[in-house]
Order: sequence, then C-alpha cells, then structure tokens
Amino acid sequence: MIQIDNVSKQFVVAGTAKPFRRGAKQVIQAVQGVRLHAPNGRITGLLGPNGAGKTTTLRMLGALFPPDSGSITVDGIAVAQQPRQALARMGILGDSHGLYPRLTARENVVYFGRLQGMEIDAAHARAQELSRLLDMASILERRAEGFSQGERMKTALARALVHDPANIVLDEPTNGLDVLATRALREALRYLRSAEGGNKCIVFSTHIMPEVQQLCEHVVVMAQGRSVAEGTVEELLAQTGEVNFEDAFVKLAFEAKTGGEFA
Amino acid sequence: MMAHLMRSIRVVVVKEVVDALRDRRTLLRLLVPAVLMGPLLLMALSGFIASLEERAERREIMVSGIEHAPTLRNYLERQTYTIKTAPADYEAMLSAATLLEPVLVVSDQFEVELLEGEHPRVELVSDSTNQRAAAGLRGLQRLLTGFNQERVGLTLALRGISSGLLQPVAVEERDLASLQARATRITTIIPMFIIMAVLYGALTAALDSTAGERERGSLEPLLMNPVQPMALVVGKWCAVAILGMAVAFIASMSFIPAQWLIKSDSMQAMFQFGMPEVIAFCLLQLPLAAGLGAVLMAVAIRSKTFKEAQASSGLVIMLVSLAPMVTMLNPGGDAPWYLWVPGLAQNTLMMLVLKGESLSVSQVLPGIVVGAALLVACLIYVARSMRMAVAR
Repeated sequence: MIQIDNVSKQFVVAGTAKPFRRGAKQVIQAVQGVRLHAPNGRITGLLGPNGAGKTTTLRMLGALFPPDSGSITVDGIAVAQQPRQALARMGILGDSHGLYPRLTARENVVYFGRLQGMEIDAAHARAQELSRLLDMASILERRAEGFSQGERMKTALARALVHDPANIVLDEPTNGLDVLATRALREALRYLRSAEGGNKCIVFSTHIMPEVQQLCEHVVVMAQGRSVAEGTVEELLAQTGEVNFEDAFVKLAFEAKTGGEFA
Repeated sequence: MMAHLMRSIRVVVVKEVVDALRDRRTLLRLLVPAVLMGPLLLMALSGFIASLEERAERREIMVSGIEHAPTLRNYLERQTYTIKTAPADYEAMLSAATLLEPVLVVSDQFEVELLEGEHPRVELVSDSTNQRAAAGLRGLQRLLTGFNQERVGLTLALRGISSGLLQPVAVEERDLASLQARATRITTIIPMFIIMAVLYGALTAALDSTAGERERGSLEPLLMNPVQPMALVVGKWCAVAILGMAVAFIASMSFIPAQWLIKSDSMQAMFQFGMPEVIAFCLLQLPLAAGLGAVLMAVAIRSKTFKEAQASSGLVIMLVSLAPMVTMLNPGGDAPWYLWVPGLAQNTLMMLVLKGESLSVSQVLPGIVVGAALLVACLIYVARSMRMAVAR
C-alpha cells in the first residue's frame, strides 16, 4: 500500500546565463499538494501530460530526494525517515532504467537482488521465475549490449521485481514498446495484481489514455504539478460529462489550470 | 548493520570488477601500453648505450683531411685508433642524423702550422640534436687533449724541462655511486611508467562507475536499492583501486622479462630488477591507487557523460603523471616536500628502491597520509554528489 499525502517539491534552477554572468535563480514548483492512495490488489494509474510532475512524485517515492512538505508512506513506513526499509518493500521501474551492457540479463537481475539483500541462490532462482513470467528466457544469458527496447524494458522490470516486492511502481513503462510487448506487460501486471500473483499494489504512471482505460481500476490525474482529479475511468467521465476519455482528460488536465482546485 | 554494509560492498566490488574485466577492448588498450611501453623504452635505451660501448671498443674515429696531418695520424694510430675518412657531405648527414659519429676536420695547413708553432686549428663537428654524434664528442676531445699534451711534453723535454711541471696537480676520478645507483641514471623512466599504469588502470573504472553510470541511466535504479550510498561508493572505489593496482603490478612485472632483452652488458649488470623490487613498487603504489582512484571518481561524478568526465579527469592525470618531471628539472637533489605530493612521492621512493637503498617510515608515511586524506574526502564527496546527480 502506498500513500502519498499533500506532497510538494520546489527546485531552484539557474536561469538563462549571460556570458560571464550567472543567470538569476528561478524557483520551479514541480509538485504541489499531490495526493495518491494506492491499496494492495489494485492498479492505480497516475495520468498526466508531459511535465505534470509524475516523475518527480515517483522519484520522491523512491527516496531519491525528500519532499519539501507532505508525507509518503509505503506499507506504513515513512519514506523520508526510513528510506531503506521503505525501498525494500518497493520495486521501482523509474524514468531512467539503464542496464549494465556488459552483464547478461540474468546478471543484471541478480546484482539488484543481491543489493536487496538476497542470497545468491535465491536471486538466481528468482531470475529464473521472472524470466518465465516476463517471457525472457531467450535473452536471459545474453549480454544487455544489443538488447532491443522491449528486451531492455523486460530486463529492467525483472530487476525491479527481483525481491518480490509488495509494491510495484512503474514510470511510463510502455514508452517505446511495440504492441506485442505492451500487451505482454499488461498481462504481467494483471497477473501480479491478482490473488495468485500476490495481490500487489501497483502504481502505473503514463500519459497514454488507452493504457489507463485498459489497465487501471483507479486513476489520479495530474497537471501542472497538482493532482486535479481521481476516480475510476467511469467516474471521471461522469464528472466531466464526456463520453470519450481523451476529452475528459483534456478537460481535467488543461482546463483545470485556471479553474479551482480539485478537492 | 556493519555486516550488511560489508556484504553490500562485496557485492558491488565483485560486480564492478567483472564489469570492467568484460570490457576487453578498453582493457587491451590499457594493458598493451602499460606492459610494453616501459620495457620497449628500456630496450631502446640499452641499445643506445650498447652502441656507445661498441664504438668505444671499436676505437674508430672519423676524420676529414687527415692526409694534411701525418703527425696527428701517427698519434691516433699509436692510440690504436682506426681512422676513417669522413664522407664529403658529412654536415648534411650529421644534421639528418644519418651519420652517428662526430667528425674531426683538419685544415690543409695543419702540418706546416704545427711544425712552425702557429696553433693550427681543428674542428670537431657534430649536431647537438643528433644525440649519438654529440655523445661521441667527449671521447674525441679527450683524444685531442692527449695529443696536445704529448706535443707540449715533447717540446719541453727538448728544452730539458720536466713535463710534470705542466701538471702540478694529479687528477684521478673516483665514482662513489654504487653500481645500482649509476644505473638509476638510465632507469629514471621506470617509476614514471608505473605511476602512469596506476592512473590509467584506475581511470576507466573510475569514470565508468560514476559518469558512465549516470550516462547509461543506471545510477538512479542503483540508488533505489536499500543500500547505504557509502556502501555503493566504497564498493566502486575498491574496484577502481584494485584495477589500478593490477595494471601497476603487471607493468612492474613486465620489467623482469624485459631485462633479459637488455643488450648492453654493463647496463644488464647495473639494472637489477627482481621480485623484491616488484613487491616494493606495488606496495608504494597503494596510497596512490587508493587516493587517486577516489579523486578520479570525485571529478567524474560531477560529469553527466563519460566524455565530459574524460575531459575533466585529463588535468588530474596530466598533473600526476608529469609530477616526476620535477625531479628532472630540479636535479639538485630531492626536497622534503616531494614526499607530500602524490605521484612525485611515489616516484622519489621508487627511485630510492631502484638505487638499492632502504626506506624509512618517515619517508613512506607522508604519501600514505596524503593518500588516506584524499580517499576519505573524495569518497564522502562522491557519496553526497551521487544523490544530487540523480536529483537534478
């Protein structure tokens, strides 16, 4: 279970510099008052246009940097206070998910398993198991050097899931994947959510509407660093009075700018 | 807690070393110069010295216009020298370094002027950029001084004066340097190569495990493992230091077979490089590999790409590998501060080992202190910057 409550984050960046002079510092409000509750056994979608603050939110969830305010807990463990305990309960496929090109897919997976504190035999067994789930038997012993986008994504996902975490966080995992690979990923996620798959809590960020419609039982819409709406796809359609989810999303994400805040 | 930390460090070290060893192409590019450069230079130097020795043994001199100087020819032949006539275009050949000995030029009026006591002039022609020719100059000068002395001696003897009067002081040379110490004049290049081997061995691993990791986008997932950042940094650093030391060890070892190839007998006798020297060399490199491995990582973690990191580490590499030059520019002897400068300290100490001298604690300690200080400061910096690097 993942709970993100009223989380805000500012970044200070250097402004446009002139020759021999540093630009004035600019404050960018990346995330403001974001709220997301993701219980176990549900796929929660985090939907938002590019630059809405999805990645920043998920990076704070991954303890890469602390939020300025608000709280993030994973299975009741506060990420800011006990980052390592929280990370042990999460499998995160982040925005950047580079592999080690000179290691095989299996070695990539086992390395992270070892860093998660697994014994070497257990990590190998788990790599084998994940290769069945994600259909990557053919690439398991190959070096990651020449992997296709889809193969890379599968390996990165297996790496994130190596310690069989109760909570799975995926940041735009279908980017660059073809239809078949996207389908396979969807199937894998459905299985992980189900009771046989371990009733996982899955948070899935994307900017692609059909994906949300097909996969997510619950959606949080983000825009301009805020969470502007949430509910099932049907609820969001009803809320906006649209039949097409894309229209509903555009209404929620882009017209909320000027409008009031979603309560 | 501690056990968990040690375990994580071990996991990271094993992965980084395996990763680096799989990079065959970089490894080869690294090892070939490290293994071959030193020995090749040693061989070239020995060849140079051997040719000098050979020339001295051959006792040949090259003269232009010897037909005008029968007295000089007589003297030279009495010194058992063989006289060769210089080719007509000796000046051009000397400049082009196709002629490798200096030329003695005798004027046509030599014999007449000598007999009349009119100070005939001879010229010793060489080119200071033609090192082999220039090296032969001194022998030739000595020979002519001998001729002058004989002439003076004969003239004085004719007038009934002892030639001893011309030499009120008898000069005799005695070289105090031990056989090994004399050899170090030639082998000064070896420590430089060992230091470069450490640097280049550590460089690739240091850049790959910091800037490379950032560039590939694997640093962010790595940091989202439940491991202390310090464990990751120490693990990476261990791998870097191990690789630096490994290349240094291989480079030191390569001098052992290299000395069998040394052509000059006297140099072979002077240059003693065995297992004790290899071990001493490697032990002396430890603080350098440890400290500079950390420095290179600290420089590289600020860079977003491998290329950027290479550019910024270039300065560190250059400064350290050129540090031994200080001893060459300042031949007045080793200053105490040498021992506090990374690179220079190791160079100074390795020279002492080559000279066959024993090292004291006070000589070795400064290098260790500096290495340890760099290590601690840089690792703390890297652990902090790693997080900032992904946050940006």
